Amino acid sequence: MVETAFPLANEQVVVSAHDLSVFYGETQALKSVTLPIARNRVTALIGPSGCGKSSFLRSLNRLNDRIPGFRLQGRVRILDIDPYGSRVDMIELRRRVGMVFQKPTPLPMSIYDNVAIGARSHYGLRGRRLDEVVEQALRQAALWDEVKDILRRPALQLSGGQQQRLCIARMLAVDPEVILMDEPCSALDPVSTFRIEELMVELAKERTVIVVTHNMQQAARVSHYTAFFMYGELIEYGASKEFFLSPKMQATEDYISGRFG
Amino acid sequence: MRWLGRLFEAGVYVTGITVSLVVLVMFYYVAREARYAFGDTFAWGFRLALLPADSSDDMSPGSAPYTTLVTVNAEGSDGLDEHEEIVPAPSVSSVEGEMMLTTAATLVSDITDIRADRLYRDEWRALKTTQQGDQFLVLGYATPRYQQKTMVLAWEPDSGFDPTLSPYRLVLRLVRAPHGVDVQPFDIDLKRQPSGRITLPAWVARTDAERSNGYVFEIQATPHRSAFWATLRGIFSTEWAPTLMYPRYGVLPLLIATTLMSVLAMLFATPLAVATALYLSEIAQPRLREWLKPALELIASVPSVVLGYFGLMFVAPSLQNWLGQALGMESGRNLLTTSVMLAVLAIPIVASVTEDVLKTVPESLRESAMALGLTRGEMLWKVLLPAARSGIMAAVLIGAARVYGETMIVWILSGGTASMPSLSSLQDVSRVLVGSTRGVPDTIAIEMGNVAFESVHYGHLFLLGVFLFAATVLVNLTALYIGRKQVWRV
Repeated sequence: MVETAFPLANEQVVVSAHDLSVFYGETQALKSVTLPIARNRVTALIGPSGCGKSSFLRSLNRLNDRIPGFRLQGRVRILDIDPYGSRVDMIELRRRVGMVFQKPTPLPMSIYDNVAIGARSHYGLRGRRLDEVVEQALRQAALWDEVKDILRRPALQLSGGQQQRLCIARMLAVDPEVILMDEPCSALDPVSTFRIEELMVELAKERTVIVVTHNMQQAARVSHYTAFFMYGELIEYGASKEFFLSPKMQATEDYISGRFG
Repeated sequence: MRWLGRLFEAGVYVTGITVSLVVLVMFYYVAREARYAFGDTFAWGFRLALLPADSSDDMSPGSAPYTTLVTVNAEGSDGLDEHEEIVPAPSVSSVEGEMMLTTAATLVSDITDIRADRLYRDEWRALKTTQQGDQFLVLGYATPRYQQKTMVLAWEPDSGFDPTLSPYRLVLRLVRAPHGVDVQPFDIDLKRQPSGRITLPAWVARTDAERSNGYVFEIQATPHRSAFWATLRGIFSTEWAPTLMYPRYGVLPLLIATTLMSVLAMLFATPLAVATALYLSEIAQPRLREWLKPALELIASVPSVVLGYFGLMFVAPSLQNWLGQALGMESGRNLLTTSVMLAVLAIPIVASVTEDVLKTVPESLRESAMALGLTRGEMLWKVLLPAARSGIMAAVLIGAARVYGETMIVWILSGGTASMPSLSSLQDVSRVLVGSTRGVPDTIAIEMGNVAFESVHYGHLFLLGVFLFAATVLVNLTALYIGRKQVWRV
C-alpha cells in the first residue's frame, strides 16, 4: 500500500526514519513510517490534520518527550545522531536541528536577546561577535531593516509576520544544519507567507529544510520533495513536480485536488 | 424550568450586592469608630517649685521645706473635690482675701502651724486640660523659717509631657508681686523655654492674709491649633505609649515594624517559594506533583497560631542558640524570628499561586526554549521566569498582604515592645533585627481588651485598623493590577 519507491537516487540522505511508530498512550500517531530526507533540499510533509506529520517532525528533535504517554518504536537517524540513543546530547541535537513553530513564539525579552540567546548559550558569544551574529541572522530572515533601530524593544511588540521571521532568525543564529518547520505560515498573511517561502528556498542552499504544511500550493512552490501522510501512514513520497502533476495513489490525488481533507 | 434559572439569577444578584454592602459597612464601622481618636483633650502639666536660692535642682516635694507654692482652685462642693483641677482658676481679684488655699495637709488656720514638709506642693501637677483663655493661678510664699533674701521659681514640664507636641500656647507669667517687693514682671513662653528658673526677692508669709498677698503666678494655656491637627500630628509621631499619663499615639513605630517584618519575610519567602513552584511545575514528575501540590496547599491552611507556637518552642530557641552570641540577641522573641515564621506562613501561599501562574505560561514557550537547545536552567531563568514575572509578583504581593495582616505569629514571637526602629547605621539595623518589636495587628489584639469603650485610645486602635485595612487593600489591589497584565499573547 505504501509507496516505497524512494526517489532519492542522487541525493545524500541526512535524516532517515526506519519503521518509525509513535504512540501517545493508547493512540498510535505514526505507523511504521520509513522516510529518508535529502540534504540541502526542502521536503514538504502534507496530509490532513491528525495524520501524524507533526508527530514525525517533532520526533526528530525529541520535542515529543514532554507529552504524557509518548512512546516511540523504530529507528531514527538525523545527521549522525541517534536522537533516541542512550548517549544522545540533547543540547547538541537541538543546536544542529532547529525548529520553527506554527504560531510565532517570541521569548519574553528584547528583539536582540531573542536572537542572541541561542548563540550566547551554545557558542558563548559576547559583545561585537554576538552583534554580528544577530545582525546576520536578522538579515537572513529578512527582518533586519525593520528592526535594526528597535533592537531593545520587547519582541512582543512586533507584528505576527515579523514575530515569525524573528523566530526564524532566532533559529538561524544557532546555525542549525537541519531546519524543521511546523506549518510556519499558517498564522500569517499572504505577504509574510511569501517572504517566508522565499526564505525557505534560500535556506535550502546550505541547509536541509523539512516543512509541514497544509498549503498545497506552498508545498508545490517551495519543496523539492513531498511526502503525503494519512492516518499515521506514509501514503506517497516523491519529487514534488511529479507528486503534484501525476500522483500515483488515488488518496493522494483526492487530497491534493481538494476532494477531501 | 425557566423560573429556576430566574431564581438563581436573582439569588446571585442579591448575594453579590449583600456581600459587597457588608464589606462596605464593615469598613465604615471601623473608620467611624476611629473618630474617637480625635476626641483627645490634650492634658498638659508643668512642675513648678519655689526653692531656696542655693538649692539643688531637685524639684521633688519636701526637698525645700521653707518655700511653697499653692495652686488656687475654685473649691468643689465637697471640699475635697477631685475635679477641682479641671475647674478654671478664679481671677486674681477673687484670690485676694477670701480664697481658700488647698494643700495636701488639712487646712490650717495658723500659718505658723504649717509643716512645710507635709505640704503637697505638687498638687498643681495633676493633668490639666483647658479651654480658650483658661488661667491657672499659683500662689508663692516662704514659710516663716525661711532665712534668705532671694528665692527661686523653677519650672519644667511634667515627665512625659512634651510642650512641643501640645496644641496649646503656654505662658508662665508673674501676675502680681507682694506689696513692697520690687520685681520686674516676666512673661515666659513655655514652648520655647520648657524648663528654667528665675530668681525673685524672698517673701515670707507669717499670716494667712500674707499668703494670699504673696506672689501670684499664672500659667495661661491657650489652644492655638485645632485638636484635629494636633491629633493627626500625634498619630504620625514616633512613639506608641497609650498608657502613659500623657499618652502618645504615634503609629509610625508599629507601621514601620509591621512593614519591616513583612518585607523581610517576603525577602526570605520569595526565592524559596518561586524555587518550590518551579520545581513543582517544571521538574517534579507528574506523580510526585500530584502529591506535593495538595500537601503544599494543606500547609498553607495551617492555623497561624500553630505556626506561632512552633516558632516559640522551636525556632526562637534555635535562633537564639545559633545566632544569639553573634548578633547580641537578648531573646529569641524578636523581629528576625517573627520574619522567619512569617516567611514560613507565606511560602506555601506564594508557591501555590506561583505554580498556578507558571501553568498559564504557554507550552509553546517551553518548546521554543527546548527547540533552541537551551539548558533547563536557561529555560527556567531566562524564559519562564520573565514570562511569568508579573504573575509571580502578584503572587508575592498576595503573600505579602497575608503576612502584613498576620496577628498571632507576631503576637507570639515579636516580643511586644513598641519602639521606633532606627536604621541609621549597620549596628542599629542589627539591633533592630534582634530587638523586641511590635506590629500593628498584634497591638490591636493585645490592647483592644483593655481600653475604655469609646475612649481616645479605643479610637486610635480602630485607626490602626483603618491603616492596616488600607495597607492590605493597597497591596492586594497592586497584586490584582499586576496580575491582570499577565495576559500572554502567543
